[in-house]
Amino acid sequence: MTETTTTPPADRAPAPAARGLVPLPPATALPLLLAGGIATAASTFLAWTWTAEFPGDLTVSGYPGGLQWLTFTAGLLTALFALSAYRVRGLRWLTPAGNHAPLLLVAVGGFGTTWYTVLAITIKLGGLANLEPGGFIAAVASLVPLVGALALPAEHRGEDLATALGKRIAKPDRIPAAEATTPWVQRAAITAVAVVGLIVFTYGIDTEYGELFIGYLIVVVFTIWALHTAGLLDRFSQLLAGNRSFALAMGFLAAIAFPFTQTDDHYANIGVNILIFGTVALGLNIVVGLAGLLDLGYVAFLGVGAYTAALVSGSEFSKFSGVQFPFWAAALSGAAASLIFGVLIGAPTLRLRGDYLAIVTLGFGEIFRIAVNNMDGDSGPDITNGPNGIPSIPDLSFLGFNFGEAHDVGGFTLGRFANYYLLMVLIMALVVLVYTRAADSRIGRSWIAIREDETAATAMGINGFRVKLVAFALGASLAGLAGTVSAHVTYSVVPNPYQFAGSTPPNSAFLLAAVVLGGMGTVAGPLLGAALLYLLPEKLVFLQDKSLLAFGVALILLMRFRPEGIIANRRRQLEFHETGQLDVPDTTTLTDEPAVTKAGT
Amino acid sequence: MNTLPQQLANGLLLGSMYGLIAIGYTMVYGIVQLINFAHGEIFMTGAFGALTVYLYILPDGTNMLVAVPLMLIGGAIVAVLIAVGAERFAYRPLRGAPRLAPLITAIGLSLALQEVVRNFYPGADRARAFPGLDATHDIGSVTIKDADIFLILAAIVCMSGLAWFVRKSRTGRAMQATAQDPDTAQLMGIDTNRIIVVAFAIGGFFAAVAAVAYGLKYGNVDYRMGFLMGLKAFTAAVLGGIGNIYGAMLGGIVLGIAETLASAYIDEIPGMQQLGGQSWANVWAFCLLILVLLFRPQGLLGERVADRA
Repeated sequence: MTETTTTPPADRAPAPAARGLVPLPPATALPLLLAGGIATAASTFLAWTWTAEFPGDLTVSGYPGGLQWLTFTAGLLTALFALSAYRVRGLRWLTPAGNHAPLLLVAVGGFGTTWYTVLAITIKLGGLANLEPGGFIAAVASLVPLVGALALPAEHRGEDLATALGKRIAKPDRIPAAEATTPWVQRAAITAVAVVGLIVFTYGIDTEYGELFIGYLIVVVFTIWALHTAGLLDRFSQLLAGNRSFALAMGFLAAIAFPFTQTDDHYANIGVNILIFGTVALGLNIVVGLAGLLDLGYVAFLGVGAYTAALVSGSEFSKFSGVQFPFWAAALSGAAASLIFGVLIGAPTLRLRGDYLAIVTLGFGEIFRIAVNNMDGDSGPDITNGPNGIPSIPDLSFLGFNFGEAHDVGGFTLGRFANYYLLMVLIMALVVLVYTRAADSRIGRSWIAIREDETAATAMGINGFRVKLVAFALGASLAGLAGTVSAHVTYSVVPNPYQFAGSTPPNSAFLLAAVVLGGMGTVAGPLLGAALLYLLPEKLVFLQDKSLLAFGVALILLMRFRPEGIIANRRRQLEFHETGQLDVPDTTTLTDEPAVTKAGT
Repeated sequence: MNTLPQQLANGLLLGSMYGLIAIGYTMVYGIVQLINFAHGEIFMTGAFGALTVYLYILPDGTNMLVAVPLMLIGGAIVAVLIAVGAERFAYRPLRGAPRLAPLITAIGLSLALQEVVRNFYPGADRARAFPGLDATHDIGSVTIKDADIFLILAAIVCMSGLAWFVRKSRTGRAMQATAQDPDTAQLMGIDTNRIIVVAFAIGGFFAAVAAVAYGLKYGNVDYRMGFLMGLKAFTAAVLGGIGNIYGAMLGGIVLGIAETLASAYIDEIPGMQQLGGQSWANVWAFCLLILVLLFRPQGLLGERVADRA
């Protein structure tokens, strides 16, 4: 499974003229898209199956339910994009470049989620007989926009089928600049996006069964892809750049609003875990993404923080059960303990080449787990209670606010996990602040310089060892800080989660995958990566067993084909444009370049 | 009774195994300056390749004198194929990319290999029994098993073969040239890509030999065995001086003996009573790595400074 395949040679097809890939008159294409989109949305008001055995109850005529909502959304989006292609006033902003790629992509999204639903019903209930007429209508209706989109006249002359298809979903090179808008319109747009983002994210977390989550992923992935090819994402990031503080405040507000949308504390629990995971991934991103140091035992620093907090939490199973630090002191001591370990590990190894750091941290991660496993008083000093860990860690209490109890805030009930969620939002905001301020400061630029070329950076007067040690220690203490909260959230600390690779997060392999998948050196990348990597195994139970395998393969393929991750750091991408290094610009792939052997080091 | 000779023998045996695996790290590093993190997993697949030969190809009750060489061949084929495939499809496309890229690829490869074995090899989600060579012999106060004799013989044969190959054969000398200066070597007409493949293949073969020895000695193999063994073999390679094949073997033996002595005797030191025994052995091996990096980063036999950019 180690092979990384290149694009297979496509069959030579006769060059299509101005026609589409489906031999229909081009004039019928847009009407098909529009009508198909509306029909798809309308079909969700019918019953698709006869029994409520399929989750989500698709048996009701009159209104959509479960997976039908996703089809409904996708159909509506298809119709909207089709109207925008008609240049309907008020919707033109959806496709500023006027290209057809977004049409095809939303059509594929609608088709994908509808056919997935229909097939899932057929397979789960055993046979086509379980479909009501509504199911067939939906399947046909969702096929119509796809045919329509493929019948659109080609914008480029394609040489063969693969390149023709590739060009159909490519982003145009130039997106016309947005018209000047007033600040109030811009802020309203950002607010709207934050609200939609919160709704979409909340929906994803609240999906109750695997089928719904898969359908959700299909719709979201294709919609975002469509927005990307339409050029809207670029426009939005420009908008964000112009209103940075407002955007940050909106993002923060949206994050705070999440627990108020939840009626069940279980989903707030998922939210807390994603936040902890994301905070730690962001801390790792300082080390890996900014300073270019590969830390393979990062989760051990989380463990150090968690164990420190547990020891001073006042738990009766702690070695120091009499001691109960207030939270600020526990958080500081957790961060400080991680800092000490970070310096102890970093100081000898950071003088050497980066490769040594990777293996030493890998070793440290393993040693940490072995050591806490052994320190049970039997096969080692009595500190950590061995494999049983330290259970019954009391809930935090801060200025009389007990995190373990439910509180009523303005008519909403915030449960235990919602309280911790809000605390983690604050900690994450702190980490984001530290990250962005550090990255833009003198030391952040030193990190990037060291990452790019250590010899040159040293020649420019940067003390390589010192700035690397600062990065490593800062990353370690942030992980320790997150660890102190995670100890209280989970009630207990045990050695097992703090290992290099395991089937559930957090572990070092998951964290590294989150950073690399999301995009090294960005703020949003690791958060997105962490959310994805946490939700995928959580929602798709059947994946849990194979998730590590998928991560391994994904890491290999990512490094080969898109080393900058989902969200590329734009400044870095431009920097890399000249050198053709780690980040590869979208337009070229590594395969286009001749294999260069690294000159003698 | 004095247990020291027995402990020294145990350390020597364990160290030979580390040394055999460390060869793979050190050769690849010497030529392409790449730490092949997945080497521990190549060692593990070698063990499963040998186990496959024993379980599914050889008839039951085959004489072990016949079975062991065949298992060695089976394990070597699997390990060499995976090592060469990894080089060809995962590492070669990244040559010239920044250092972080191949390291992350190696982590991915290591996870993927472990998970492929765990998910798809029958019964590999827990330790699988491996035929052992458990007959014991007493030599003075030292007791060794047949498996230990196999290990020592294999290590001696492999190391002398490798020393001869690197010094005398045409390919071996081309390897030395490539390690010294890949560009000049290429200008002199050496196919450096082929040399790199040969380095990976030799590493895979040595790992397979170590894997068969591991199985025969401990009587079971599991999908996670490569992780710690790989880590410690890397420690051995650093200890001996990475890039130096004799250093790898020496480093392995030093590490093996140090680890064995530490777990046997450290609890006799006042104040460290509870830090002895097998459960802390890995910790001491790791501390040794830190100490070496702190005081002699070029390793015991290394000449070059370690912090080349």
